[in-house]
Amino acid sequence: MTEEVLGGLAPTQLSGAAQGELMDLCEQQFAQLEKLQNEIILCESDFSDSPQEQSVNRLIATEAELKQWLSTEPELLAENSEVLLRAGKAEMLKLCSELEMVFSCSEAKRDKLRETKVCEEKWLEDKTQVLSAAMNHVERLKMEKEKLSEQSVLKDTKMKIEKMKAYEESLMDCLGDILEKHIPHPQNGASGYKKTKNASTEPEEDLISLGEILEQLMNKVLETPHDPYVTIDNTFWPPYVEMLLRYGIAVRHQENNFKIRLETFC
Amino acid sequence: MKLHYVVFSIVMSLLKPFSKLPGLNTANILLVESEEQLQQPLADVLVEEATFTVNVRLAKTLPLPVENEESRPRIDLVVFIIHLSSELSLQSAEASLKHLDSGYFLGKVCFMVTNARDASVPPERLDAVRKLAASLQSPLLFAEDQTPNGLTTATERLLTILKGAAGLVPMATALYLSNLTRYSLPFDIDQPTFD
Repeated sequence: MTEEVLGGLAPTQLSGAAQGELMDLCEQQFAQLEKLQNEIILCESDFSDSPQEQSVNRLIATEAELKQWLSTEPELLAENSEVLLRAGKAEMLKLCSELEMVFSCSEAKRDKLRETKVCEEKWLEDKTQVLSAAMNHVERLKMEKEKLSEQSVLKDTKMKIEKMKAYEESLMDCLGDILEKHIPHPQNGASGYKKTKNASTEPEEDLISLGEILEQLMNKVLETPHDPYVTIDNTFWPPYVEMLLRYGIAVRHQENNFKIRLETFC
Repeated sequence: MKLHYVVFSIVMSLLKPFSKLPGLNTANILLVESEEQLQQPLADVLVEEATFTVNVRLAKTLPLPVENEESRPRIDLVVFIIHLSSELSLQSAEASLKHLDSGYFLGKVCFMVTNARDASVPPERLDAVRKLAASLQSPLLFAEDQTPNGLTTATERLLTILKGAAGLVPMATALYLSNLTRYSLPFDIDQPTFD
């Protein structure tokens, strides 16, 4: 090993003495190497060749190597200061380049960690915002819960029911007004028409108004939802029935022509 | 005298790690591959990447021909390249192993498996290779031969082992290194898998 390290260093600028010393060292090493080589070739290997014994071989060899390392004395390099300077310089340069590599590597790692840190911080901020929003929500719900008592809920519901009732009332009033204004009672409205055009037919006395027809239809739907049909009798003025059917407010029974029901508006 | 010669020739057919003198700052690697697919590209990259002199020698199988015996340098590392996609590749490597001196198994042999990504490969074959590497206490490397990147990675690993095996690293020996890099069998290799 020493031979190779020094061999690689042997420069031309060295003084003759130093070069000579190095060459001597190299030659000593090489002679040693050759001697060992011959010993190896000549000696009988006591290792068995079967692969099963490999671990035994390995153990023996490792133990031998360990013994060798323990007994080895560290050898000094050449004593010439010139050589030492060269070797030291080369070693230093090598160390420097290695350290530079370590440095750039750790720098890259640091930059990456920095990036990660920024990412993580952003993430943390997001999560904190979410947390605070959730906490606010919880707080608000808690306050509402404290405010709400059973009675207040009841009162609230009652008020809503009242409101709905009033709305319904107003709707019914509105409907009544419209009916009264635009669709008069058949007996009053139709009497003049009938007198002039068709006096032969007897005007039926017990006709009901459109409002009443609608009321009957609506009541029937609400009372017996399974059978919402109303039978048409002679109190229904046929033009009104026709009108209801034509504008899609009422529907005739599929099998019985004399039955109608309110269209399902929903 | 004649008897000695016969013994000598038999011994020489066995590849020995210390039969020749080493070269200066030189490492010699022998790539054994029956398919001869990965050898050449790997050799090219090996020579290209190395910071020291690397002699790459290629062989299909062992033993090596006796004619080249004289010119052949000392082999510092023997790499068996095994294609997992073929049974023959493994069998050939196993047959070649018999022609190596047991001294090689102290850190101068290494197995390189390739084509392991192929889905059609039976898992038993990989297990067989792992058992082989473990029984010979040698490192087991996995190489990707399809991409240049994979080739470079495989080369770097080989060069690291080669440097140690050729004695180019001060204070480290092949045996010392291989005690750390040898493939040891995982405990669960013989256990049935439940998936």
